[in-house]
Amino acid sequence: MDAIDSVVDPLRDFAKDSIRLVKRCHKPDRKEFTKVAVRTAIGFVVMGFVGFFVKLIFIPINNIIVGAT
Amino acid sequence: MGGGFRVLHLVRPFLAFLPEVQSADRKVPFREKVIYTVISLFIFLVCSQLPLYGIHSTTGADPFYWMRVILASNRGTVMELGITPIVTSGLVMQLLAGSKIIEVDNNVREDRALLNGAQKLLGILIAIGEAVAYVLSGMYGPVGQLGVGNAILIILQLFFAGIIVICLDELLQKGYGLGSGISLFIATNICESIIWKAFSPTTINTGRGAEFEGAVIALFHMLITKSNKVAALRQAFYRQNLPNVTNLLATVLIFLIVIYFQGFRVVLPVRSKNARGQQGSYPIKLFYTSNMPIILQSALVSNLYFISQLLYRKFSGNFFVNLLGQWKESEYSGQSIPVSGLAYLITAPASFSDMAAHPFHALFYIVFMLTACALFSKTWIEVSGSSARDVAKQLKEQQMVMPGHRESNLQKELNRYIPTAAAFGGVCIGALTVLADFMGAIGSGTGILLAVTIIYQYFETFEKEKASELGFFGF
Repeated sequence: MDAIDSVVDPLRDFAKDSIRLVKRCHKPDRKEFTKVAVRTAIGFVVMGFVGFFVKLIFIPINNIIVGAT
Repeated sequence: MGGGFRVLHLVRPFLAFLPEVQSADRKVPFREKVIYTVISLFIFLVCSQLPLYGIHSTTGADPFYWMRVILASNRGTVMELGITPIVTSGLVMQLLAGSKIIEVDNNVREDRALLNGAQKLLGILIAIGEAVAYVLSGMYGPVGQLGVGNAILIILQLFFAGIIVICLDELLQKGYGLGSGISLFIATNICESIIWKAFSPTTINTGRGAEFEGAVIALFHMLITKSNKVAALRQAFYRQNLPNVTNLLATVLIFLIVIYFQGFRVVLPVRSKNARGQQGSYPIKLFYTSNMPIILQSALVSNLYFISQLLYRKFSGNFFVNLLGQWKESEYSGQSIPVSGLAYLITAPASFSDMAAHPFHALFYIVFMLTACALFSKTWIEVSGSSARDVAKQLKEQQMVMPGHRESNLQKELNRYIPTAAAFGGVCIGALTVLADFMGAIGSGTGILLAVTIIYQYFETFEKEKASELGFFGF
Protein backbone atom coordinates (compact mmCIF):
# COMPACT_ATOMS: atom_id res chain seq x y z
CA MET A 1 0.00 0.00 0.00
CA ASP A 2 2.92 2.33 0.66
CA ALA A 3 4.06 1.91 -2.92
CA ILE A 4 0.61 2.74 -4.24
CA ASP A 5 0.27 5.67 -1.85
CA SER A 6 3.57 7.10 -3.00
CA VAL A 7 2.15 7.22 -6.51
CA VAL A 8 -1.45 8.15 -5.72
CA ASP A 9 -0.78 10.95 -3.23
CA PRO A 10 1.27 13.16 -5.58
CA LEU A 11 -1.29 12.57 -8.32
CA ARG A 12 -4.13 13.53 -6.01
CA ASP A 13 -2.28 16.66 -4.92
CA PHE A 14 -1.57 17.51 -8.54
CA ALA A 15 -5.23 17.04 -9.45
CA LYS A 16 -6.33 19.26 -6.57
CA ASP A 17 -3.83 21.96 -7.51
CA SER A 18 -4.92 21.78 -11.13
CA ILE A 19 -8.59 22.11 -10.25
CA ARG A 20 -7.87 25.09 -8.01
CA LEU A 21 -5.83 26.66 -10.80
CA VAL A 22 -8.61 26.23 -13.35
CA LYS A 23 -11.21 27.69 -10.99
CA ARG A 24 -8.96 30.66 -10.30
CA CYS A 25 -8.37 31.20 -14.03
CA HIS A 26 -9.96 34.06 -15.88
CA LYS A 27 -11.73 32.45 -18.80
CA PRO A 28 -12.47 34.15 -22.11
CA ASP A 29 -16.07 35.18 -22.70
CA ARG A 30 -17.86 34.80 -26.03
CA LYS A 31 -16.86 38.21 -27.33
CA GLU A 32 -13.21 37.79 -26.40
CA PHE A 33 -13.10 34.26 -27.81
CA THR A 34 -14.71 35.30 -31.09
CA LYS A 35 -12.29 38.17 -31.52
CA VAL A 36 -9.23 36.01 -30.96
CA ALA A 37 -10.60 33.16 -33.05
CA VAL A 38 -11.29 35.40 -36.03
CA ARG A 39 -7.89 37.07 -35.88
CA THR A 40 -6.03 33.82 -35.46
CA ALA A 41 -8.02 32.26 -38.28
CA ILE A 42 -7.12 35.18 -40.54
CA GLY A 43 -3.45 34.79 -39.63
CA PHE A 44 -3.70 31.07 -40.24
CA VAL A 45 -5.31 31.47 -43.66
CA VAL A 46 -2.97 34.25 -44.77
CA MET A 47 0.12 32.27 -43.82
CA GLY A 48 -1.32 29.12 -45.31
CA PHE A 49 -2.21 30.66 -48.65
CA VAL A 50 1.10 32.50 -48.94
CA GLY A 51 2.83 29.15 -48.66
CA PHE A 52 0.21 27.51 -50.85
CA PHE A 53 0.70 29.93 -53.74
CA VAL A 54 4.48 29.84 -53.54
CA LYS A 55 4.24 26.07 -53.79
CA LEU A 56 1.72 26.28 -56.63
CA ILE A 57 3.93 28.65 -58.58
CA PHE A 58 7.01 26.52 -58.06
CA ILE A 59 5.50 23.28 -59.35
CA PRO A 60 5.82 24.28 -63.02
CA ILE A 61 9.09 26.11 -62.33
CA ASN A 62 10.53 23.01 -60.73
CA ASN A 63 9.36 20.86 -63.61
CA ILE A 64 11.29 23.13 -65.95
CA ILE A 65 14.39 23.15 -63.73
CA VAL A 66 14.44 19.42 -63.11
CA GLY A 67 13.50 18.66 -66.69
CA ALA A 68 16.45 20.69 -67.92
CA THR A 69 18.89 18.85 -65.64
CA MET B 1 35.36 38.09 -13.03
CA GLY B 2 38.19 36.41 -11.09
CA GLY B 3 40.74 34.09 -12.55
CA GLY B 4 38.34 31.31 -13.39
CA PHE B 5 38.52 29.81 -16.84
CA ARG B 6 35.26 30.23 -18.67
CA VAL B 7 33.97 27.97 -21.39
CA LEU B 8 32.38 30.85 -23.26
CA HIS B 9 35.76 32.43 -23.87
CA LEU B 10 36.55 29.56 -26.23
CA VAL B 11 34.16 31.19 -28.65
CA ARG B 12 35.90 34.55 -28.74
CA PRO B 13 38.39 33.78 -31.55
CA PHE B 14 35.53 32.71 -33.83
CA LEU B 15 33.39 35.80 -33.37
CA ALA B 16 35.19 37.66 -36.14
CA PHE B 17 34.28 35.01 -38.71
CA LEU B 18 30.59 34.58 -37.87
CA PRO B 19 28.09 36.34 -40.11
CA GLU B 20 26.23 38.89 -38.05
CA VAL B 21 23.24 41.13 -38.48
CA GLN B 22 23.83 44.61 -37.14
CA SER B 23 21.49 45.59 -34.34
CA ALA B 24 18.87 48.11 -35.30
CA ASP B 25 20.32 51.48 -34.33
CA ARG B 26 16.98 53.20 -34.37
CA LYS B 27 13.43 52.20 -33.65
CA VAL B 28 12.17 50.44 -36.74
CA PRO B 29 8.68 51.61 -37.71
CA PHE B 30 5.95 49.02 -37.54
CA ARG B 31 5.35 48.98 -41.27
CA GLU B 32 9.03 48.32 -41.95
CA LYS B 33 8.95 45.44 -39.49
CA VAL B 34 6.07 43.90 -41.38
CA ILE B 35 7.96 44.28 -44.64
CA TYR B 36 11.11 42.67 -43.26
CA THR B 37 9.04 39.83 -41.83
CA VAL B 38 7.24 39.20 -45.11
CA ILE B 39 10.46 39.32 -47.12
CA SER B 40 12.14 36.86 -44.76
CA LEU B 41 9.15 34.56 -45.06
CA PHE B 42 9.28 34.66 -48.85
CA ILE B 43 12.97 33.87 -48.90
CA PHE B 44 12.31 30.90 -46.67
CA LEU B 45 9.35 29.68 -48.74
CA VAL B 46 11.23 29.96 -52.02
CA CYS B 47 14.14 28.00 -50.55
CA SER B 48 11.63 25.40 -49.43
CA GLN B 49 10.61 24.84 -53.03
CA LEU B 50 13.97 25.03 -54.82
CA PRO B 51 15.18 21.54 -55.71
CA LEU B 52 18.73 20.59 -54.78
CA TYR B 53 21.09 20.48 -57.74
CA GLY B 54 23.03 17.30 -58.22
CA ILE B 55 20.89 14.84 -56.31
CA HIS B 56 20.39 11.47 -57.92
CA SER B 57 17.04 10.61 -56.39
CA THR B 58 14.79 11.14 -53.39
CA THR B 59 12.84 7.92 -53.73
CA GLY B 60 12.69 5.43 -50.92
CA ALA B 61 11.64 5.77 -47.31
CA ASP B 62 12.26 9.12 -45.72
CA PRO B 63 13.67 8.62 -42.21
CA PHE B 64 12.84 12.21 -41.28
CA TYR B 65 9.21 12.00 -42.41
CA TRP B 66 7.99 12.18 -38.83
CA MET B 67 9.60 15.42 -37.83
CA ARG B 68 9.50 17.51 -40.97
CA VAL B 69 6.36 19.31 -39.91
CA ILE B 70 7.82 20.78 -36.74
CA LEU B 71 11.20 21.52 -38.26
CA ALA B 72 9.96 23.34 -41.37
CA SER B 73 11.88 20.93 -43.55
CA ASN B 74 11.10 19.89 -47.13
CA ARG B 75 12.46 16.75 -48.75
CA GLY B 76 14.80 17.14 -51.70
CA THR B 77 14.94 20.94 -51.54
CA VAL B 78 17.54 23.49 -50.54
CA MET B 79 15.65 23.75 -47.23
CA GLU B 80 16.12 20.08 -46.43
CA LEU B 81 17.65 20.90 -43.07
CA GLY B 82 14.88 23.37 -42.32
CA ILE B 83 15.37 25.06 -38.98
CA THR B 84 17.00 22.00 -37.42
CA PRO B 85 20.46 23.57 -36.99
CA ILE B 86 19.19 26.72 -35.33
CA VAL B 87 16.61 24.99 -33.12
CA THR B 88 19.04 22.32 -32.02
CA SER B 89 21.78 24.80 -31.18
CA GLY B 90 19.26 27.01 -29.38
CA LEU B 91 18.01 24.13 -27.25
CA VAL B 92 21.52 22.93 -26.49
CA MET B 93 22.73 26.37 -25.43
CA GLN B 94 19.59 26.89 -23.37
CA LEU B 95 20.16 23.61 -21.55
CA LEU B 96 23.84 24.33 -20.98
CA ALA B 97 23.22 27.83 -19.66
CA GLY B 98 20.14 26.86 -17.66
CA SER B 99 21.88 23.95 -15.97
CA LYS B 100 24.93 26.12 -15.24
CA ILE B 101 27.32 23.97 -17.25
CA ILE B 102 28.16 27.20 -19.00
CA GLU B 103 28.40 30.26 -16.79
CA VAL B 104 26.56 33.20 -18.26
CA ASP B 105 25.99 36.50 -16.56
CA ASN B 106 23.27 38.21 -18.55
CA ASN B 107 24.23 41.54 -17.04
CA VAL B 108 27.59 41.43 -18.77
CA ARG B 109 27.42 42.60 -22.36
CA GLU B 110 30.33 40.45 -23.45
CA ASP B 111 28.74 37.30 -22.03
CA ARG B 112 25.60 37.85 -24.05
CA ALA B 113 27.62 38.42 -27.21
CA LEU B 114 29.69 35.30 -26.57
CA LEU B 115 26.58 33.24 -25.90
CA ASN B 116 25.00 34.39 -29.15
CA GLY B 117 28.23 33.69 -30.97
CA ALA B 118 28.46 30.23 -29.45
CA GLN B 119 24.90 29.44 -30.46
CA LYS B 120 25.49 30.61 -34.01
CA LEU B 121 28.76 28.71 -34.29
CA LEU B 122 27.07 25.57 -33.02
CA GLY B 123 24.24 26.05 -35.52
CA ILE B 124 26.73 26.29 -38.37
CA LEU B 125 28.59 23.19 -37.21
CA ILE B 126 25.33 21.28 -36.93
CA ALA B 127 24.35 22.38 -40.44
CA ILE B 128 27.64 21.07 -41.82
CA GLY B 129 27.38 17.85 -39.84
CA GLU B 130 23.83 17.17 -40.92
CA ALA B 131 24.56 17.97 -44.56
CA VAL B 132 27.45 15.51 -44.58
CA ALA B 133 25.36 12.87 -42.80
CA TYR B 134 22.55 13.28 -45.33
CA VAL B 135 24.87 12.74 -48.27
CA LEU B 136 26.87 9.87 -46.79
CA SER B 137 23.75 8.03 -45.63
CA GLY B 138 22.58 7.79 -49.22
CA MET B 139 19.57 10.06 -48.86
CA TYR B 140 20.14 11.37 -52.38
CA GLY B 141 21.27 8.12 -53.93
CA PRO B 142 24.44 6.10 -53.34
CA VAL B 143 27.56 8.22 -53.00
CA GLY B 144 29.21 6.17 -55.73
CA GLN B 145 26.60 7.28 -58.22
CA LEU B 146 26.57 10.90 -57.07
CA GLY B 147 30.27 11.39 -57.55
CA VAL B 148 32.48 13.47 -55.29
CA GLY B 149 31.74 16.72 -57.10
CA ASN B 150 27.98 16.47 -56.73
CA ALA B 151 28.29 15.31 -53.14
CA ILE B 152 30.30 18.39 -52.25
CA LEU B 153 27.87 20.60 -54.16
CA ILE B 154 24.94 19.20 -52.20
CA ILE B 155 26.72 19.72 -48.89
CA LEU B 156 27.52 23.31 -49.83
CA GLN B 157 23.92 24.02 -50.82
CA LEU B 158 22.58 22.67 -47.54
CA PHE B 159 25.26 24.53 -45.59
CA PHE B 160 24.46 27.88 -47.18
CA ALA B 161 20.74 27.32 -46.69
CA GLY B 162 21.51 26.76 -43.01
CA ILE B 163 23.40 30.06 -42.93
CA ILE B 164 20.47 31.82 -44.59
CA VAL B 165 18.01 30.54 -42.00
CA ILE B 166 20.32 31.56 -39.15
CA CYS B 167 20.70 35.06 -40.58
CA LEU B 168 16.98 35.46 -41.30
CA ASP B 169 16.10 34.50 -37.75
CA GLU B 170 18.73 36.87 -36.37
CA LEU B 171 17.39 39.67 -38.57
CA LEU B 172 13.93 39.27 -37.11
CA GLN B 173 15.22 38.84 -33.56
CA LYS B 174 17.41 41.93 -33.71
CA GLY B 175 14.38 44.18 -33.90
CA TYR B 176 13.82 44.34 -37.64
CA GLY B 177 10.85 41.99 -37.58
CA LEU B 178 7.98 40.77 -35.47
CA GLY B 179 8.81 37.93 -33.13
CA SER B 180 11.11 35.07 -33.97
CA GLY B 181 11.93 33.68 -37.37
CA ILE B 182 11.82 30.11 -36.14
CA SER B 183 8.21 30.43 -35.03
CA LEU B 184 7.26 32.16 -38.26
CA PHE B 185 8.76 29.43 -40.44
CA ILE B 186 7.23 26.59 -38.42
CA ALA B 187 3.78 28.14 -38.40
CA THR B 188 3.82 28.94 -42.10
CA ASN B 189 5.00 25.47 -42.99
CA ILE B 190 2.16 23.93 -41.01
CA CYS B 191 -0.49 26.33 -42.31
CA GLU B 192 0.69 25.71 -45.86
CA SER B 193 0.49 21.97 -45.29
CA ILE B 194 -3.09 22.21 -44.06
CA ILE B 195 -4.24 24.59 -46.80
CA TRP B 196 -2.53 22.40 -49.38
CA LYS B 197 -4.35 19.32 -48.16
CA ALA B 198 -7.61 21.23 -48.35
CA PHE B 199 -7.17 22.85 -51.76
CA SER B 200 -4.46 20.92 -53.58
CA PRO B 201 -5.10 20.64 -57.34
CA THR B 202 -2.78 17.67 -57.81
CA THR B 203 -4.28 14.29 -58.55
CA ILE B 204 -3.36 10.98 -56.98
CA ASN B 205 -4.48 7.51 -57.97
CA THR B 206 -5.31 5.26 -55.03
CA GLY B 207 -7.24 2.56 -56.83
CA ARG B 208 -10.48 4.48 -57.34
CA GLY B 209 -9.16 6.29 -60.36
CA ALA B 210 -7.45 9.67 -60.22
CA GLU B 211 -8.65 11.86 -57.38
CA PHE B 212 -7.80 15.38 -56.33
CA GLU B 213 -5.60 15.50 -53.26
CA GLY B 214 -7.31 18.55 -51.79
CA ALA B 215 -10.33 17.69 -49.64
CA VAL B 216 -12.43 20.68 -50.67
CA ILE B 217 -11.57 20.41 -54.35
CA ALA B 218 -12.40 16.72 -54.25
CA LEU B 219 -15.72 17.43 -52.55
CA PHE B 220 -16.89 19.80 -55.26
CA HIS B 221 -15.46 17.67 -58.04
CA MET B 222 -17.30 14.59 -56.80
CA LEU B 223 -20.58 16.44 -56.36
CA ILE B 224 -20.34 17.78 -59.88
CA THR B 225 -19.20 14.65 -61.70
CA LYS B 226 -20.98 11.84 -59.88
CA SER B 227 -24.61 11.05 -60.59
CA ASN B 228 -25.18 9.57 -57.15
CA LYS B 229 -24.90 12.65 -54.90
CA VAL B 230 -25.28 10.77 -51.63
CA ALA B 231 -22.47 8.36 -52.47
CA ALA B 232 -20.36 11.31 -53.60
CA LEU B 233 -20.88 13.05 -50.28
CA ARG B 234 -20.04 9.94 -48.30
CA GLN B 235 -16.93 9.46 -50.39
CA ALA B 236 -15.80 13.06 -49.92
CA PHE B 237 -16.36 12.92 -46.17
CA TYR B 238 -14.84 9.53 -45.44
CA ARG B 239 -12.42 8.51 -48.16
CA GLN B 240 -9.31 6.67 -47.01
CA ASN B 241 -5.65 7.50 -47.52
CA LEU B 242 -6.26 11.03 -48.73
CA PRO B 243 -7.41 14.16 -46.91
CA ASN B 244 -11.18 14.21 -46.54
CA VAL B 245 -13.76 16.69 -45.30
CA THR B 246 -14.06 15.06 -41.89
CA ASN B 247 -10.34 15.62 -41.39
CA LEU B 248 -10.86 19.26 -42.27
CA LEU B 249 -13.71 19.67 -39.80
CA ALA B 250 -11.66 17.99 -37.08
CA THR B 251 -8.86 20.44 -37.77
CA VAL B 252 -11.22 23.39 -37.35
CA LEU B 253 -12.57 21.97 -34.10
CA ILE B 254 -9.09 21.52 -32.60
CA PHE B 255 -8.25 25.04 -33.74
CA LEU B 256 -11.20 26.49 -31.82
CA ILE B 257 -10.51 24.43 -28.69
CA VAL B 258 -6.88 25.56 -28.57
CA ILE B 259 -7.87 29.20 -28.93
CA TYR B 260 -10.35 28.88 -26.09
CA PHE B 261 -7.78 27.40 -23.72
CA GLN B 262 -5.26 30.03 -24.74
CA GLY B 263 -7.44 32.56 -23.00
CA PHE B 264 -7.21 30.86 -19.59
CA ARG B 265 -4.99 32.77 -17.20
CA VAL B 266 -4.58 33.69 -13.55
CA VAL B 267 -4.12 37.43 -13.26
CA LEU B 268 -1.99 38.44 -10.28
CA PRO B 269 -2.14 42.13 -9.31
CA VAL B 270 1.23 43.83 -9.00
CA ARG B 271 2.14 47.38 -8.02
CA SER B 272 5.23 49.45 -8.52
CA LYS B 273 7.01 50.66 -5.41
CA ASN B 274 7.92 53.81 -7.32
CA ALA B 275 5.97 55.92 -9.76
CA ARG B 276 3.17 56.64 -7.27
CA GLY B 277 2.04 53.04 -6.94
CA GLN B 278 1.39 52.40 -10.61
CA GLN B 279 -0.94 49.42 -10.86
CA GLY B 280 -0.44 46.50 -13.20
CA SER B 281 -0.94 42.78 -13.49
CA TYR B 282 1.14 39.71 -14.14
CA PRO B 283 -0.82 37.03 -16.02
CA ILE B 284 0.08 33.37 -15.58
CA LYS B 285 -1.35 31.45 -18.50
CA LEU B 286 -2.68 27.93 -18.31
CA PHE B 287 -0.40 27.23 -21.27
CA TYR B 288 2.50 28.64 -19.28
CA THR B 289 5.21 27.07 -21.41
CA SER B 290 3.17 27.55 -24.59
CA ASN B 291 4.04 24.94 -27.20
CA MET B 292 7.40 23.99 -25.73
CA PRO B 293 6.24 20.62 -24.25
CA ILE B 294 4.95 19.48 -27.63
CA ILE B 295 8.14 20.53 -29.39
CA LEU B 296 10.30 18.66 -26.90
CA GLN B 297 8.05 15.61 -26.92
CA SER B 298 8.03 15.54 -30.72
CA ALA B 299 11.79 15.94 -30.84
CA LEU B 300 12.18 13.03 -28.42
CA VAL B 301 9.84 10.80 -30.42
CA SER B 302 11.39 11.77 -33.74
CA ASN B 303 14.89 11.00 -32.57
CA LEU B 304 13.75 7.67 -31.18
CA TYR B 305 12.13 6.88 -34.54
CA PHE B 306 15.27 7.83 -36.40
CA ILE B 307 17.53 5.70 -34.22
CA SER B 308 15.09 2.80 -34.32
CA GLN B 309 14.81 2.87 -38.11
CA LEU B 310 18.56 3.10 -38.52
CA LEU B 311 19.15 0.13 -36.25
CA TYR B 312 16.32 -1.90 -37.73
CA ARG B 313 17.65 -1.42 -41.23
CA LYS B 314 21.03 -2.86 -40.25
CA PHE B 315 20.31 -5.26 -37.39
CA SER B 316 16.72 -6.35 -37.92
CA GLY B 317 17.37 -9.75 -36.37
CA ASN B 318 18.50 -8.42 -33.02
CA PHE B 319 16.09 -8.87 -30.10
CA PHE B 320 16.68 -5.46 -28.53
CA VAL B 321 16.49 -3.68 -31.87
CA ASN B 322 13.14 -5.34 -32.51
CA LEU B 323 12.05 -4.38 -29.00
CA LEU B 324 12.83 -0.76 -29.84
CA GLY B 325 10.75 -0.93 -33.01
CA GLN B 326 10.04 -2.89 -36.14
CA TRP B 327 9.24 -1.07 -39.36
CA LYS B 328 7.35 -1.76 -42.55
CA GLU B 329 6.86 0.38 -45.62
CA SER B 330 3.35 1.72 -46.07
CA GLU B 331 1.92 0.68 -49.41
CA TYR B 332 0.39 4.10 -50.03
CA SER B 333 2.76 6.82 -48.92
CA GLY B 334 6.00 4.90 -49.29
CA GLN B 335 6.95 5.92 -45.76
CA SER B 336 8.12 3.51 -43.11
CA ILE B 337 5.66 2.98 -40.30
CA PRO B 338 6.33 1.25 -36.98
CA VAL B 339 4.46 -2.03 -36.58
CA SER B 340 5.69 -3.25 -33.20
CA GLY B 341 7.99 -2.45 -30.31
CA LEU B 342 8.40 0.76 -28.35
CA ALA B 343 8.30 2.92 -31.48
CA TYR B 344 4.88 1.47 -32.28
CA LEU B 345 3.54 2.01 -28.76
CA ILE B 346 4.34 5.72 -28.82
CA THR B 347 2.80 6.21 -32.25
CA ALA B 348 -0.71 7.62 -32.41
CA PRO B 349 -3.33 5.00 -33.29
CA ALA B 350 -4.56 5.66 -36.80
CA SER B 351 -8.19 6.10 -35.80
CA PHE B 352 -10.81 5.48 -33.13
CA SER B 353 -11.52 2.04 -34.55
CA ASP B 354 -7.82 1.25 -34.45
CA MET B 355 -7.79 2.39 -30.83
CA ALA B 356 -10.65 0.07 -29.95
CA ALA B 357 -8.90 -2.82 -31.68
CA HIS B 358 -5.65 -2.28 -29.72
CA PRO B 359 -6.62 -0.89 -26.30
CA PHE B 360 -3.23 -1.41 -24.67
CA HIS B 361 -1.48 0.52 -27.43
CA ALA B 362 -4.00 3.35 -27.10
CA LEU B 363 -3.68 3.49 -23.32
CA PHE B 364 0.12 3.39 -23.40
CA TYR B 365 0.21 6.15 -26.00
CA ILE B 366 -2.14 8.42 -24.04
CA VAL B 367 -0.29 7.98 -20.75
CA PHE B 368 3.04 8.53 -22.48
CA MET B 369 1.83 11.71 -24.19
CA LEU B 370 0.34 13.30 -21.08
CA THR B 371 3.24 12.34 -18.83
CA ALA B 372 5.94 13.40 -21.27
CA CYS B 373 4.31 16.78 -21.91
CA ALA B 374 3.80 17.45 -18.19
CA LEU B 375 7.38 16.53 -17.31
CA PHE B 376 8.90 18.47 -20.19
CA SER B 377 6.81 21.49 -19.28
CA LYS B 378 7.79 21.33 -15.61
CA THR B 379 11.44 20.91 -16.52
CA TRP B 380 11.38 23.67 -19.11
CA ILE B 381 10.41 26.41 -16.67
CA GLU B 382 13.53 25.68 -14.65
CA VAL B 383 15.79 25.51 -17.69
CA SER B 384 14.38 28.56 -19.46
CA GLY B 385 14.45 30.85 -16.46
CA SER B 386 10.70 31.22 -16.02
CA SER B 387 10.28 29.39 -12.72
CA ALA B 388 8.68 31.04 -9.69
CA ARG B 389 12.11 31.94 -8.36
CA ASP B 390 13.17 33.57 -11.63
CA VAL B 391 9.93 35.50 -12.00
CA ALA B 392 10.12 36.73 -8.40
CA LYS B 393 13.65 37.91 -9.06
CA GLN B 394 12.57 39.76 -12.20
CA LEU B 395 9.69 41.49 -10.46
CA LYS B 396 11.98 42.50 -7.61
CA GLU B 397 14.47 43.99 -10.05
CA GLN B 398 11.63 45.96 -11.58
CA GLN B 399 10.64 47.19 -8.11
CA MET B 400 7.28 45.47 -8.31
CA VAL B 401 5.42 44.13 -5.29
CA MET B 402 2.18 42.24 -4.85
CA PRO B 403 -0.40 44.13 -2.79
CA GLY B 404 -1.20 42.36 0.44
CA HIS B 405 2.00 40.32 0.43
CA ARG B 406 5.39 41.05 1.92
CA GLU B 407 8.22 41.09 -0.56
CA SER B 408 9.69 37.88 0.81
CA ASN B 409 6.38 36.11 0.13
CA LEU B 410 6.31 36.97 -3.55
CA GLN B 411 8.07 33.80 -4.62
CA LYS B 412 5.88 31.70 -2.35
CA GLU B 413 2.74 33.14 -3.92
CA LEU B 414 4.06 32.56 -7.44
CA ASN B 415 4.96 29.01 -6.45
CA ARG B 416 1.29 28.29 -5.85
CA TYR B 417 0.52 28.86 -9.52
CA ILE B 418 3.50 28.59 -11.82
CA PRO B 419 4.56 24.93 -11.34
CA THR B 420 0.94 23.79 -11.50
CA ALA B 421 0.22 25.89 -14.57
CA ALA B 422 3.31 24.48 -16.26
CA ALA B 423 2.55 20.84 -15.49
CA PHE B 424 -1.20 20.98 -16.01
CA GLY B 425 -0.76 23.12 -19.10
CA GLY B 426 1.58 20.46 -20.43
CA VAL B 427 -1.03 17.79 -19.75
CA CYS B 428 -3.66 19.82 -21.60
CA ILE B 429 -1.32 20.27 -24.55
CA GLY B 430 -0.69 16.54 -24.63
CA ALA B 431 -4.40 15.78 -24.38
CA LEU B 432 -5.24 18.13 -27.23
CA THR B 433 -2.58 16.53 -29.40
CA VAL B 434 -3.96 13.08 -28.67
CA LEU B 435 -7.49 14.25 -29.40
CA ALA B 436 -6.42 15.83 -32.68
CA ASP B 437 -4.59 12.73 -33.85
CA PHE B 438 -7.50 10.44 -32.97
CA MET B 439 -9.92 12.65 -34.85
CA GLY B 440 -7.65 12.57 -37.89
CA ALA B 441 -7.06 16.31 -38.01
CA ILE B 442 -4.97 17.42 -40.97
CA GLY B 443 -1.40 18.29 -40.19
CA SER B 444 -1.29 16.20 -36.99
CA GLY B 445 -2.16 17.35 -33.51
CA THR B 446 1.38 18.51 -32.96
CA GLY B 447 1.29 20.71 -36.02
CA ILE B 448 -2.04 22.34 -35.28
CA LEU B 449 -1.08 23.12 -31.70
CA LEU B 450 2.20 24.61 -32.84
CA ALA B 451 0.60 26.71 -35.55
CA VAL B 452 -2.20 28.06 -33.36
CA THR B 453 0.01 28.90 -30.39
CA ILE B 454 2.54 30.58 -32.67
CA ILE B 455 -0.09 32.65 -34.47
CA TYR B 456 -1.61 33.55 -31.12
CA GLN B 457 1.79 34.84 -30.00
CA TYR B 458 2.09 36.82 -33.21
CA PHE B 459 -1.33 38.28 -32.52
CA GLU B 460 -0.15 39.41 -29.09
CA THR B 461 3.11 40.83 -30.49
CA PHE B 462 1.14 42.57 -33.20
CA GLU B 463 -1.11 44.24 -30.63
CA LYS B 464 1.84 45.41 -28.55
CA GLU B 465 3.65 46.81 -31.56
CA LYS B 466 0.60 48.67 -32.76
CA ALA B 467 -0.03 50.04 -29.28
CA SER B 468 3.51 51.35 -28.91
CA GLU B 469 3.42 52.72 -32.44
CA LEU B 470 0.24 54.68 -31.81
CA GLY B 471 1.65 55.81 -28.51
CA PHE B 472 4.72 57.02 -30.33
CA PHE B 473 2.67 59.01 -32.81
CA GLY B 474 0.45 60.31 -30.09
CA PHE B 475 3.42 61.63 -28.16
